[in-house]
Amino acid sequence: MKNLKKSLLAKHFSHIYIEREIISHPITKIILDKFPNSVIVEIDNYKEVFSRPRQNYKLQEISKKLILAKKKGEFLYPGPPLCHDFGYNHFYYTSLIFNCIFSCDYCFLKGMYSSANIVIFVNIEDYFKEIDSVLKRHPLYLSVSYDTDIMALEKIVPFFSMFIEYTTSRKDLTIEIRTKTADYEVLQSLRPSENIILAWTLSPQEIIEKFEHKTPSLSARLETIKKAIENGWKVRLCFDPILFTKNWKEIYLKFLDQVFKQIEPFKITDISIGVFRIPKDYLKRMKKVFVNEITLFPYEEENGIFTYPDELKKEIMEFFLSKLIQFIPESKIFTI
Amino acid sequence: MIYLITAFYPEAKAFIDYFGLKKLYEPSKFQIFSGDKILLIVSGEGILQAAIATTFALTKFGANDKCIALNIGICGAKKKSLSKGDVLLCNKIINHYSKRTFYPDILITHQMKEVSLETFPFPIKKDTFTDEIEGDIVDMEGAGFFEAALSFLAPHNVHCIKIVYDFLDYEKIEPQEVTNLVKQCIPFIENFINTLVDMNLVFCTNIIEEEKIREVVEKLKSSLRLTTSMTYQLEKLLKSYIIRHENLPENISEFFNINVNSKKEGKQYFEKLKKILIS
Repeated sequence: MKNLKKSLLAKHFSHIYIEREIISHPITKIILDKFPNSVIVEIDNYKEVFSRPRQNYKLQEISKKLILAKKKGEFLYPGPPLCHDFGYNHFYYTSLIFNCIFSCDYCFLKGMYSSANIVIFVNIEDYFKEIDSVLKRHPLYLSVSYDTDIMALEKIVPFFSMFIEYTTSRKDLTIEIRTKTADYEVLQSLRPSENIILAWTLSPQEIIEKFEHKTPSLSARLETIKKAIENGWKVRLCFDPILFTKNWKEIYLKFLDQVFKQIEPFKITDISIGVFRIPKDYLKRMKKVFVNEITLFPYEEENGIFTYPDELKKEIMEFFLSKLIQFIPESKIFTI
Repeated sequence: MIYLITAFYPEAKAFIDYFGLKKLYEPSKFQIFSGDKILLIVSGEGILQAAIATTFALTKFGANDKCIALNIGICGAKKKSLSKGDVLLCNKIINHYSKRTFYPDILITHQMKEVSLETFPFPIKKDTFTDEIEGDIVDMEGAGFFEAALSFLAPHNVHCIKIVYDFLDYEKIEPQEVTNLVKQCIPFIENFINTLVDMNLVFCTNIIEEEKIREVVEKLKSSLRLTTSMTYQLEKLLKSYIIRHENLPENISEFFNINVNSKKEGKQYFEKLKKILIS
């Protein structure tokens, strides 16, 4: 099947769709320079391509296209209740990119969007303007990598480094950048800052192999985290989502041992944990396209959210937490 | 099924000969030809004709996830870099009249040049048409076909393939020349079709053995006297278990021969089974 894949499928980003309005934007030029062989298709609005009816997400995942657009309207959104706010009063998230280069079976993006193609809103300057105006009113805790992995995409579009540079000079702004990358190179030329939190999502190697397609291995992620901590970056670990699967107890026990053998717990800023949960509508859409262990599980619904049945959820959380506090004080752990 | 939609018989003839298609005597205003998993329909000229013929074919002969629809025919080229006989895959299709734009999903590799196509409701001649032409090539059917086909099929299975006939300066279309030009392009088109078919087959196959599950559900439904909602739940639980453990639980057969006497008893067994399946 792998050979067939190679010979049949167009490479990722074989086509780049660009809104006419931002054809000469500097970020557009940076991106296009990286893909000299791609076919360029001019469009009026990214939704013409991204929101087409009857797209096959599963097939698009194996030959993703890039869509470059200009973000209009809202730039910041209130943090969703399904996510940790880490005690911050003004918790917002922003979305410069839709979709991700990784392909995790449990990812909510698969139910949120009708397309697996990656949309990049190149007008980052408008995001910065909006954040500046909010900062005049109150401090801000901002998640910038919820609908994508901007650190993993840094070599395609330098938003990660631009955000680091921007945030460093704004003390009332704290940003969280969530990632699964193991590419330390993107951090090398940047300086850490107190108000920037790099949040690595970690899963056991068995879970990575089964559900987190195209992501770096656990040991590679841990190596990168170690280096980041040594070089002064604030690091959060996200054990989220914890998944129910065959032999989950053994898998997660071994996992915690491996993590804290490599990472000194007291050097971690904090940890977030949570079991798999997803809005009802997203799961419904995912089920139509993906037949797998994640979509087929008989979840229970509570307030429009699907998650494991109460008893199971309690068992997973209690088990995981009881093991985790053997490594790290409970005060550093955020649960949801 | 592969649906081929051409505007004129001379375009269709190349495919009829190559694939050995036979005329289908269906009561319809269109000429229809069929062969092994191929159905060809001659729409006639114009955007509306193309839309009607496409809708007719996809409704009458059925459309599913793996069906492919291609509009193939000659076009006029605006782009100087193109040559007569070039076979082109359209990555953008513009309806000149409505200004609606369509984008096929090009997920596979192919050996054709890619261009944008603009569909006009009338023939275009460069010395008489004064407005700007947005597309690299022009035709009179593509947008009608595309919009209609997209109502039934996924955008990776709907494509327009055009063959350059003139440079917006033709006087008269020569039927034999059209057939010859299309014939020359068939290897590219056939290769494209085969790749699409393979992709649909490889990547859209269901991994769950539905038959096996249905059989088990039927057995348990009667032995435990399950309600409709319990049966539905059971089906989901079984699928989920199989995908996690790659097989049914060993002790499931114990439930096959139980004969419950009351709803309450059935419910108790169902809860027991549920516990096994969520493990």
